[in-house]
Amino acid sequence: MGLFDKLAGWLGLKKKEVNVLCLGLDNSGKTTIINQLKPSNAQTQDIVPTIGFSIEKFKTSSLSFTVFDMSGQGRYRNLWEHYYKEGQAIIFVIDSSDKLRMVVAKEELDTLLNHPDIKHRRMPILFFANKMDLRDALSSVKVSQMLCLENIKDKPWHICASDAVRGEGLQEGVDWLQDQIKTMRT
Amino acid sequence: MSAAPAEMKENIEANSKWLDAHYDPVANLYTFSSCIALADLQGDGENKLVVGDLGTGACNMKLKVYRGTSLMSENTLLDLPTGLVSFLMDQHEPRTPAVAVASGPFIYVYKNLRPYFKFTLPTLEVNPLEQDVWSQAKEDMIDPVSLKEMLEGIRDKAEIPLSVRSLKFLMLEPQEMEAYVNLHKQNPIRRQTVITCISTLKKNMADEDAVSCLVIGTESKDVYILDPEAFTILSKMSLPSSPTLMDVTGQFDIEFRITVACRNGNIYILRRDSPKPKYCIELTSHPVGLVRVGKNVVVGCAQETLQGYTQKGKKLWTVYLPAPVTTMGLMDHHTRGFQAVLVGLANCEVHLYRDKNLISTIKTPDVVTSVCFGRYGREDGTLIMTTKGGGLMVKILKRTAVFEDKDTAPGPPLAQSIRLNVPKKTKLYVDQTMRERENAVAMHRAFQMDLSRLRLAVARAYVKALESSLTPVSASLSEPLKMHAVVQGLGPSFKLTLNIQNTAVCRPVMNLAVSFLYDESLYSMKTAFFKIPLLVPGLNYPIDTFVECLTDKGISDIIKVFVLREGKSAPLLTAHINMPVSEGLALA
Repeated sequence: MGLFDKLAGWLGLKKKEVNVLCLGLDNSGKTTIINQLKPSNAQTQDIVPTIGFSIEKFKTSSLSFTVFDMSGQGRYRNLWEHYYKEGQAIIFVIDSSDKLRMVVAKEELDTLLNHPDIKHRRMPILFFANKMDLRDALSSVKVSQMLCLENIKDKPWHICASDAVRGEGLQEGVDWLQDQIKTMRT
Repeated sequence: MSAAPAEMKENIEANSKWLDAHYDPVANLYTFSSCIALADLQGDGENKLVVGDLGTGACNMKLKVYRGTSLMSENTLLDLPTGLVSFLMDQHEPRTPAVAVASGPFIYVYKNLRPYFKFTLPTLEVNPLEQDVWSQAKEDMIDPVSLKEMLEGIRDKAEIPLSVRSLKFLMLEPQEMEAYVNLHKQNPIRRQTVITCISTLKKNMADEDAVSCLVIGTESKDVYILDPEAFTILSKMSLPSSPTLMDVTGQFDIEFRITVACRNGNIYILRRDSPKPKYCIELTSHPVGLVRVGKNVVVGCAQETLQGYTQKGKKLWTVYLPAPVTTMGLMDHHTRGFQAVLVGLANCEVHLYRDKNLISTIKTPDVVTSVCFGRYGREDGTLIMTTKGGGLMVKILKRTAVFEDKDTAPGPPLAQSIRLNVPKKTKLYVDQTMRERENAVAMHRAFQMDLSRLRLAVARAYVKALESSLTPVSASLSEPLKMHAVVQGLGPSFKLTLNIQNTAVCRPVMNLAVSFLYDESLYSMKTAFFKIPLLVPGLNYPIDTFVECLTDKGISDIIKVFVLREGKSAPLLTAHINMPVSEGLALA
């Protein structure tokens, strides 16, 4: 890092870069959440199922996020583990109205947490219990129960209910993630 | 002790493949595999579960649609459903499939879960005699009693069976007849059959979303193929018996194959352009489940077996099952290119077979009556099962699940089926076997005679040895002795050690002497005769003596040792010592 960069860092002009993985089953709303977090002039109107993955960037008050928006479709889920090393934090999105596939989400989460690249790292995990607006959606408490989140002892985690279409609940989650990353660095 | 870990291992094995997504033991869903289908009824990319619920068998028959874990809609059915399929009727957008429910002589077609069309099977030919009799009754020319007699006569002789109306009439009590005749005599007689099984057949394209014809089997031993839009009969085929289970493959306009299991215990294979069955498989017991995997047909039989046949009716294999089959279904995982047969058993298990290999077992809390594998919701590998007690179970195949292509059932090891590289039979071998086959009796007799002779010779030699005490062990009761000799040294001097033991329990032996007999030109001994002290029972007495070899020709001889008793001419024991060649003299 050059002298100028350091100076800019001290002055708060240049934001710290952080890589985040956005994971979750297909149709859970990962791309919609990332789209909502982007500045309004960069947002797209129609969201289509992601193929493979896409890289998105957005900024918060103190950090510059680079998000790997992974596809959640069954045939692309084996791509996830190749990006675990690069990620410094994880956003895990759950469709809280899809009770049937809650076990699949739990299975994928367990596989993720037991992966050697993740297991012994203290990286923060942010859960979005998405689609809260739907009538038959489960509460965030119920979702965390079904995923057995209380068993995650060695990593900081946080779950928030969200409605990605209207952008509700997203800011709360991102603020928490930003605080966690800052405390991790210092 | 060993049962618990085995069970645990089995559970882990099952857990490694399936996720328990949903189980509702009181879903109040009573159905069979023929009345269950998965289809994207609303075109929203989420497959729904469509079930023809048989209810109690008399009431509560319903067409139920599940979305995820909850019931989405219910339509009341008028009669028991015998089959349910979802199919695309037309090319119109949006491409939402219709649901056809077969019940009685009708097919009810639903679109968007609303009744859309009702197809009725064509009526059957009515017996002209029966027609005549009823027209006479209509004109009041005959009374009910004579009507009954005439109908009974027709029933016993006629080739065309009576209509339901006449059969019902024959069951009535005499006082009820009059009213029944008056009620029905004005209506024309009809004879109708019922649908026993239903399936679909792609019309002219093999695509997943191609338009499909309905294929129905009826109680009147016919198979009809219906046009998907107009519901006209495109083709009619006859069978020797009533069909019960059906599988259809191919395309109507090109080539198709209908595999039908019939009530007479046979399986018939129908093809395009032949109104009669092309092939026939005669089973040893009644079929209870029929699944086609690729080009093979897998049949579950009432005798607790699972049998595989080729599409031309050649038997490939048989597997014996631990319990009777309750239902069967195909597990076809498109994205992985994996096909297997699901077999529901009466012992609360669902077995998964690929060919004849059992590759997985699922334990269920109740007996499974229907299985269906496919895309449900947004998940491709979903297994749906309903149970005897009306429960609904949904399991999802894990993304990481791997099915090993080997038999998990206990049985002979794999090595047993490996062919050994056996060389070809030689002419000599063949001649010999021919000879053996022709002269078996004579050869056996010769062998037996030689064997007897051998035994006799052995016995004689043994008796002779015992009689002349030629053995180094004495069996006589008064002097039970044992002796063995050791020769030490290279020559020309040898040390000869005799180990003599009294094997009696408590009696000592006295007055014994040892004598050596040898060729005096070869050997010399200081004392060729000496006495042995008293022998205490059980102890080993080593007696040393020295032998000098006299020859330098490199030859050796036998030295005989006799253990003698005073006053007796026959020896007690005899030992032959094979003397080694004297190396000392040869060197000198």
